Amino acid sequence: MLQAIASRLASSLLVIVGSLALVFCIFYLLPGDPVLSMVDPTSVSPEVIENLREQLGLNRPFHERLLTYFGDMLTGDFGRSLVGSEPVLPKILHQVPATLLLTAASSLIAIVVGVALGVPSAVRKGGLIDFAARIVGLFGISMPTFWSGILLILIFSVQLKWLPAMGSDGWATLVMPALALGFVGAGSIVRMVRGSMLEVLGEPFVTTLRAKGLRERLVQYKHVLRNALIPAVTLIGMQIGDMLAGTVIIETVFSRQGVGRILADAIMAKDLPVVQGVVFFTAIVYVGINLLVDLSYAAIDPRIRRRGAGQ
Amino acid sequence: MKHSAAAAKTSGRLRRIRQAGLDKAPCGAQHRTSGTKLRFGSADVLTGLAGIAVSFLVLCALVPGWIAPYSPTEMNTAAILQAPSVLHPLGTDYFGRDVFSLIVYGTRDSLLIGICSVLVGVLIGGTLGTLAGYAGGKLDTVLMRLMDVLLTVPGILLALTIAAALGPGLRNIVLAIAISSVPGYARVMRGQILAIRRRGYVFASRAIGARPSSILIRHVLPNSAAPLLVMATLGLGSSILAGAGLSFLGLGVLKEIPDWGALLSQGRGYLTVAWWICTFPGLAITLFVLSINLIGDRWRDAVDPKRKGKV
Amino acid sequence: MTNGIIHKLAAGRVYPKRRFKLGCVLGALALALTTALAGCGPAPGGSTAKAASGTAGSAASTPVQGGELTYALATSPDTLDPRRSGLAVSVRVFGALYDTLLIRNADGSLGPSLATEWKASEGGLSYTLKLRDDVKFQDGTPFNAEAVKYNFDSIIDPETKAANALALLHPYKSSEVIDEHTIKLNLETPSQAFLGNLSQGMLSLVSPTAAQKDGENYGKNPVGTGPFKFVSWSENAEIKLAKNPDYAWGSAESPNTGAAYLDALTFKIVPEEATRIGGVQSGQVLAAETVPPQNVVALQNDPNAQLLQTNTIGFPYTLFFNLEHEPWNELKARQAVQYAVDLDSIVKTLYLGTYERAWSSVTPGILGYDESLEGQIKPDTAKANALLDELGWVKGADGIRVKDGKKLTLHYVDGSPNREKRNDIAAMIREQLKAIGIETEVEITQDIATVVYQNWDYDLYGNSQVNSDPHGLASFYHSTEEEGRRTLSGLSDPQVDEWLDQGAIEPDEAKRAELYKKVQQYISDQALILPVYVFPYTVAAGRSVQGLAFDPFGYPIFNDVYLQK
Repeated sequence: MLQAIASRLASSLLVIVGSLALVFCIFYLLPGDPVLSMVDPTSVSPEVIENLREQLGLNRPFHERLLTYFGDMLTGDFGRSLVGSEPVLPKILHQVPATLLLTAASSLIAIVVGVALGVPSAVRKGGLIDFAARIVGLFGISMPTFWSGILLILIFSVQLKWLPAMGSDGWATLVMPALALGFVGAGSIVRMVRGSMLEVLGEPFVTTLRAKGLRERLVQYKHVLRNALIPAVTLIGMQIGDMLAGTVIIETVFSRQGVGRILADAIMAKDLPVVQGVVFFTAIVYVGINLLVDLSYAAIDPRIRRRGAGQ
Repeated sequence: MKHSAAAAKTSGRLRRIRQAGLDKAPCGAQHRTSGTKLRFGSADVLTGLAGIAVSFLVLCALVPGWIAPYSPTEMNTAAILQAPSVLHPLGTDYFGRDVFSLIVYGTRDSLLIGICSVLVGVLIGGTLGTLAGYAGGKLDTVLMRLMDVLLTVPGILLALTIAAALGPGLRNIVLAIAISSVPGYARVMRGQILAIRRRGYVFASRAIGARPSSILIRHVLPNSAAPLLVMATLGLGSSILAGAGLSFLGLGVLKEIPDWGALLSQGRGYLTVAWWICTFPGLAITLFVLSINLIGDRWRDAVDPKRKGKV
Repeated sequence: MTNGIIHKLAAGRVYPKRRFKLGCVLGALALALTTALAGCGPAPGGSTAKAASGTAGSAASTPVQGGELTYALATSPDTLDPRRSGLAVSVRVFGALYDTLLIRNADGSLGPSLATEWKASEGGLSYTLKLRDDVKFQDGTPFNAEAVKYNFDSIIDPETKAANALALLHPYKSSEVIDEHTIKLNLETPSQAFLGNLSQGMLSLVSPTAAQKDGENYGKNPVGTGPFKFVSWSENAEIKLAKNPDYAWGSAESPNTGAAYLDALTFKIVPEEATRIGGVQSGQVLAAETVPPQNVVALQNDPNAQLLQTNTIGFPYTLFFNLEHEPWNELKARQAVQYAVDLDSIVKTLYLGTYERAWSSVTPGILGYDESLEGQIKPDTAKANALLDELGWVKGADGIRVKDGKKLTLHYVDGSPNREKRNDIAAMIREQLKAIGIETEVEITQDIATVVYQNWDYDLYGNSQVNSDPHGLASFYHSTEEEGRRTLSGLSDPQVDEWLDQGAIEPDEAKRAELYKKVQQYISDQALILPVYVFPYTVAAGRSVQGLAFDPFGYPIFNDVYLQK
């Protein structure tokens, strides 16, 4: 088991390095010259521009730059932002809590709503809950988050004046962004949970259990749910990652602090070090979630646990 | 050696499970287990309505002039920011343009972004998946690791980065969304190919001496295409959402006729004084994506081999 | 020279010389929403009447001590070091943290601040200033001639990587400390704009002790002589300041020369327009800057909010023809556009009557502003068509004019984000030009630095600038000799050069004004530009906010503010 985790970690590391290299390549191929956006090209002499390039290492060949970049990162040096010239790491770390809080709140909403609607809707197909589940499922995956965010502001801030439309101070400001973001995740999770519940309900072993006279409740919540959870957990893991990414838009709509805002700004300013830093952060969270998902399989499914132990 | 084998096994499992999850996420498996006439009927009515909505929007994209009452570029400065009325069913924007006509004309680019990016994504992803699945071995490992890397950067972040790097423009947005959707298609395709390679008729063809390429083209591809196509249909919805999201973040183009995302984004500042400018384009996006998802769900049910087997 | 940078400023962001940090920034979403602008934007208070209306509250009530003012900014300052800043939004904070040597009074004249008297030498190559002797920085460092010398010398030191301040200080050469509170500033060449620039926020004085101690990080730990001192800055969120209890050197023109009434002043950074204004209406913040026109009317009728507005002075938002591109090097082609574009309708439609239309290359309130240009050019499609016919451009089947097989196109470049609805101006002009057979290709780019200032790849590009002196016109219309450098218009006319050169040094105000009138006339006659609007700085505030006023550059003055219970 431990070994499996270790090897998972090793391959995760590879994936993180790969994603950083990927972003590096994208920016390497990018047309604009970052130096030109840093200085006034009309009033600065070509030598100064050349010097800056030298200073930033933009003149060196691709592989050398890439290696230096990874080298620096190993020593914990993520470089400095091209825009504020402040170190990237503290800049991002400072914003991480706000973004994680939003992601966590949205995920909580998504999971609770998703499972709470998904399970009963499969058990009692055609009922009221099933209807609600289908609506949440379809609208959740069909509505653009920025639109639902705007609608929420329109209703709860502009019209009813119940909730603040902006900012990141206090719990009240968290409600609408988390709802807007969580709704999308809830949509996917409801569909998933419902679908796999239905599938498992049709498996022969359920019929066997029923035939054995197990109470229906026990059948559904112990046996069926457990079996249906595996694909659901995978999807939940992916959804959390997507919600993390979704903060880019939601933080903008609600003027919240966070990594997403930093990223949106940095991308438009072609601020490579900051973009790299944020990608690194997201990749770590992503990989971390995947790891948790893997581990939870073992918790849910004894077969996997046993197999893992055997290795 | 042992180590890496273990890694491959675990991540292989993850991949399989994930793929299963992906496959089923928007699951409409409900039709499988129970099939009273009535429920089939109501689902069909819904799908029918969705079909009508999609046909209407496609018609808007093809011949907007037949449907829109005004020219989308006509700026009637005497009638700016007018609420919905008989003259302007969805109101007018801050230029005095008719919002309904704008939405009708904006359909073309909105659909174009969705359709083109799905086509490009399916083409690239499908090819890579086929290669990986059919060739196996090192190529498979390398390609799939690459896909893992792409998956580590959440879709919208990747699209955002690519779009920022390429600069604004319809083509670049399409490319950005397409690339970010490649890994999903590649995985599903690979999974299909792997499954079908093991089918009896493939072995049979090989036994009678058919060339690998002809087996691929005549047997494997046609049999693997269905799930990919279903996924593409559902992907159309998310591509349109992604395109709208990029437009919303300001990575779109200033066209004479804005797409839905751009229209919504432009109307955002007028939320409190003219809610109709950004509410209706959002509704159009939601309606379209919703319809596509309904149709996709139905189609998935229809081609789901498990379902076929059981009904 | 100066000009180069200032004019960048105008672009809404400044690309500071050699500084890579800068705000350059392209943008960023944040900037994006910024409308207000930056570096440039407009500035000061053009019409005095409006500026007056810009003061919150009635003068009758007695100021209340205490409380905290929360003020929402549209974009984040780049740094709180005035020497290194390139953004106008930073200057809004500088006003609270720092003082300048001189201030500009509402009537446009210069007044004393940290300097009490000033005198130009014969020939204008140096200025001698007497400084206040009762001032100290918030860290206890005394304010004296040495401090001024340190500030100005460090600005011209390349090591500092100074931004706009460097351009504003030009042609400063050196300082001589005459005695503890007297300093002589030497210039490379005479400059009529120099003294006025000393009133600009970017030339605020920093504490030499703090600046030397913190070096590059000073911008995050600023120390000035102003009525508020720095407490903390959390990025993209807020900047907290607290009252400087020792403050006793407010300008004589201001109602409060002593310490601030407020205990604390907090700037919040809220880029989304709707949320920023909504914050005032819901009471989350007490004031918010740059109110979009569509919200102005609603705010005026809101019993819980008030709207403060002041026009800024300098160079209005102006669309420049690129005179080096055909066919726009021809007067008649430019005139055709001038007649085809209905700027009145554009400004009214987009800004709903809240922005004033611009008529000249400078705004009202600038020395020499030529009122006679107002209302001179009226849209006339027939005339526009006739002019293009004369040039031999013939309408093709698609309604677009053609000559020698080439379509008549206009490459219109504008920046992203859509600041002050400038992208929308482009959209409207495109429609209006279509009517006379010109096809407008609108390019919206985040990379103005490359497209405009590097490749000069535009036929029409718009820019504005906050400024206090008409000398800034040289940065747009004076010919340039250096290779690769040019102005936005690309104009090269010896006559204009002569007027501008003369204007830079002419000591007689009336004569100076005449020279700049001639330049404005010329620009208008030659249809070099389309002046669009004068930017008003607008603030929405809760009813309790009293005494908030603006200087002529449109920057808020916080020392007089108090909160009515």
